[in-house]
Amino acid sequence: MSKNFFEIKDVTFAIGGKNKVNDVNISIKNEGDTICILGPSGIGKTTMLRTIAGLEKINKGEIILKDKVISSNKIHIEPEKRNIALSFQENSLFPHYSVDKNIHLGIKKNSSTDKNINSKEIIKILNIEDILSKYPHQISAGEAQRASLARSLISQPDLLLLDEPLSNVDQSFKEDIQVALKQLLNKNKITTIVVTHDSYEAFYLGSKCALVLDNEVKQFDDPYNVYHFPNSVEVVNFLNRGILLPAKVTGGNSLENDDLGIIKGKFIKHYPTGSNVKLLLQPEDLEHDDDSNLKLEVVDRKFRGTNFIYTLKTPSNRLIPVAVHSHHWEQHEVNEKFGIKRPIELEHIVCF
Amino acid sequence: MRINFWFISSLFVSLIIIVPILTVFSSFFENTTNYFEILKNTFLFEYTLNSICLLVSVLFLTFIIGTGSAYLVSFYEFPLSNFFKWALILSFAVPPYIYAYSLTAFFENYGTAYTILKNLFGEANYNSHIPKFDGMLGSILSISFSLFGYVYILTRASFLYQSQQLIDLGKNLGFSSYKSFYSIILPSARPAIVAGLSLVAMETLAEFGAVDFFSINTLTTGIYNSWIAFDDLAFANQLSFFLLLFIFALFIIENLSRKKAKYHFNSRGGFKRKEKFKLSKSKALLAFIFCFLVFFLSFLFPLSQMLYWTIKFPENLFDLDIVNLLLNTIYLVFLSSIILILFSLISNYGNRVSNNKILNLLSTLSISGYAIPGVILAVAFITFIAWFDETIIKTLGFLSIKKIFFGSILGLVLVYFIRFYSLAFNGIKSGYEKININVDESAYLLGYSKRKTFMNIHIPFLRNSLLFVGILISLEIIRELPITLILRPFNFETFATTAYISASEDLLEAAAVPSLFLILIAAFFIMITSKYILRDNNE
Repeated sequence: MSKNFFEIKDVTFAIGGKNKVNDVNISIKNEGDTICILGPSGIGKTTMLRTIAGLEKINKGEIILKDKVISSNKIHIEPEKRNIALSFQENSLFPHYSVDKNIHLGIKKNSSTDKNINSKEIIKILNIEDILSKYPHQISAGEAQRASLARSLISQPDLLLLDEPLSNVDQSFKEDIQVALKQLLNKNKITTIVVTHDSYEAFYLGSKCALVLDNEVKQFDDPYNVYHFPNSVEVVNFLNRGILLPAKVTGGNSLENDDLGIIKGKFIKHYPTGSNVKLLLQPEDLEHDDDSNLKLEVVDRKFRGTNFIYTLKTPSNRLIPVAVHSHHWEQHEVNEKFGIKRPIELEHIVCF
Repeated sequence: MRINFWFISSLFVSLIIIVPILTVFSSFFENTTNYFEILKNTFLFEYTLNSICLLVSVLFLTFIIGTGSAYLVSFYEFPLSNFFKWALILSFAVPPYIYAYSLTAFFENYGTAYTILKNLFGEANYNSHIPKFDGMLGSILSISFSLFGYVYILTRASFLYQSQQLIDLGKNLGFSSYKSFYSIILPSARPAIVAGLSLVAMETLAEFGAVDFFSINTLTTGIYNSWIAFDDLAFANQLSFFLLLFIFALFIIENLSRKKAKYHFNSRGGFKRKEKFKLSKSKALLAFIFCFLVFFLSFLFPLSQMLYWTIKFPENLFDLDIVNLLLNTIYLVFLSSIILILFSLISNYGNRVSNNKILNLLSTLSISGYAIPGVILAVAFITFIAWFDETIIKTLGFLSIKKIFFGSILGLVLVYFIRFYSLAFNGIKSGYEKININVDESAYLLGYSKRKTFMNIHIPFLRNSLLFVGILISLEIIRELPITLILRPFNFETFATTAYISASEDLLEAAAVPSLFLILIAAFFIMITSKYILRDNNE
């Protein structure tokens, strides 16, 4: 028997006879944990959720919830008998019922769970008190999404599946809802799988993230590791938070790039001296220092609130991103020279 | 492929509907009596020419009346424009044959027009000055004023969903209102107009009562006469084959244009309610006169004529067993509606949950019945049952089944079923299309079984659609003539058949009472339906 609360073992997810994500192995160890499935649009994330919910069948592998196989090539427990809630990305409210009635349809009379979810609290947290008497066609897409989320939460599921839960929610209170949702899930110990293409949302909500790329789960790890220790070039490219520079390993803790010179740090994977590698350089890796003799030309500057992201051009025409705190005393304009502190020392060296 | 309840029921419905069509096609190669030879050399050309002449004229007239009135009430504000919006649909309450009786009654020698002139200006020979609307012209007018509603409703619905943004865009590009109409408004309503005209075309080719009354020989009356007068069922089927070819071409055009029409339905965002333009006094008067004339000619005129005769010849009112006619009509309406709605619901739900391609194809076949004229359906039904009885039942040594189907309510309701199934199926389908499949899945995930989802989610949501479909079916059955005429049990009459029989015996005054009741009942149903048809928002 599985020791995990939820587990996907060697499952190939398919829809309409077409394989979408192959040989997936993902697990949630403890009840109440949240994991995120992250990947570009159309990759099969929603198919994964639909399959877990029982709306699609599988031909390979098995899905186990609370030590019980709910899907395999032989077993398929009907969606209504799984006690899994799925909050759809698109409006799935019952059009002929008010929002209030829609939400309270989620309450199950004979629920087997011991959770004590307070519907009033959920309604308040999701800020839908004012639309309770309205009908689905009278509310916005964001409101419908929150009402649908409330209905799923109130149903006290063993497993909650959220498909891009906040994609239609206004940016202004998206973060507030994210915080409230996380607290709510933790407090009520609701085991959740969130599908999103927003890496920040995934990193915040999930204790672990599964990156789905090229028809497979490329990496399943905690958010810190996914960001700082991506296990493949594809993951680096998807996260788009750094660039890969050619370098040569010069020792046990150093390598050299033609433009930046010697770079020191701790390799997370061993490479023999003399090997040619691609070094992952993220915006926060380099430090600004105009007294340095290593100067690069600024070709672009993006204001990101807490910091500026400079794009610098190296002599070999490579573009390097560097983050500088927005309160930093001296900022640069495009075409100016930007100094980089030497020696360059990184927390960890990730190469491919 | 899973053979389940849904599959079998859809297959059953499709078989019932496909049989008469196959019968018509198969009988094309059968031998017929000499009548066919005579007709081929003499009247076949006339039948075809008359049908085409009628078709082209009716299409032209319904286009002008339907599109013109829809445009005026959708875009402009003028006296009673809100009233005309729904009142113009009342023309549906007057079937072409009753319109034909009214035309004749009003314009005939010593008719109502003569009486009015005599009362106004005294005794004189007005008959020679009063125009006569009979023959082909009478048929064209009767059919056009009765059927323009199809073009009006669909075009108006399309105009209703045209966003103000589209019109604003025209203004922004510097278009005059004339250019906006031709370059933006009309082209984007084109699929709806074509769909409306296709329905008119199918109904015109199928029209029996009015053309028969005016003694115009068309393919439809030819089918009826070859069967009734010459007892040549095979020839009736061969004529049907010709007519069906016409109709299938129209059916395809209609289907294609309706598919395109979907693209004009902006259901998600970007829709801005149109602001109606208030017309200046003189233009408002012209718009009012146009709409009033259409309303008067299509509804008030036949209604008043029938009412006038009913009052003038009250003995006809007492001679008629109205209670019995009413009960017969209600009986047919109730029975047919229940069966049609039940099967359409099963079929629609089956398609939804099983998502089976063969089932979808069967459903598409099943809705082709509406395109087939009632006369053909009735004749084909008789042909098939007679063949089935002779070759299968009697060969197996069983008693004849003809009596179960001929001249019986069962046979009548069965052919109604074939003819009006598409109406019920499509009505419920359009209701179902508004329920996103996510809704079903959400219900399952909330622990609802398929049955519970159907009962607790679908049925309450479809309640209005079901009511709407029920009313539409009722309206059709109340007005239906040829099927009822051919297949009704002995001594079983409806308002439609009573009116027809009286009129065919040249007793137009006697036809007035059942016609009046038919108009009033149909108008009552239309008034209820108009609430759904002409909802003035983008829900």
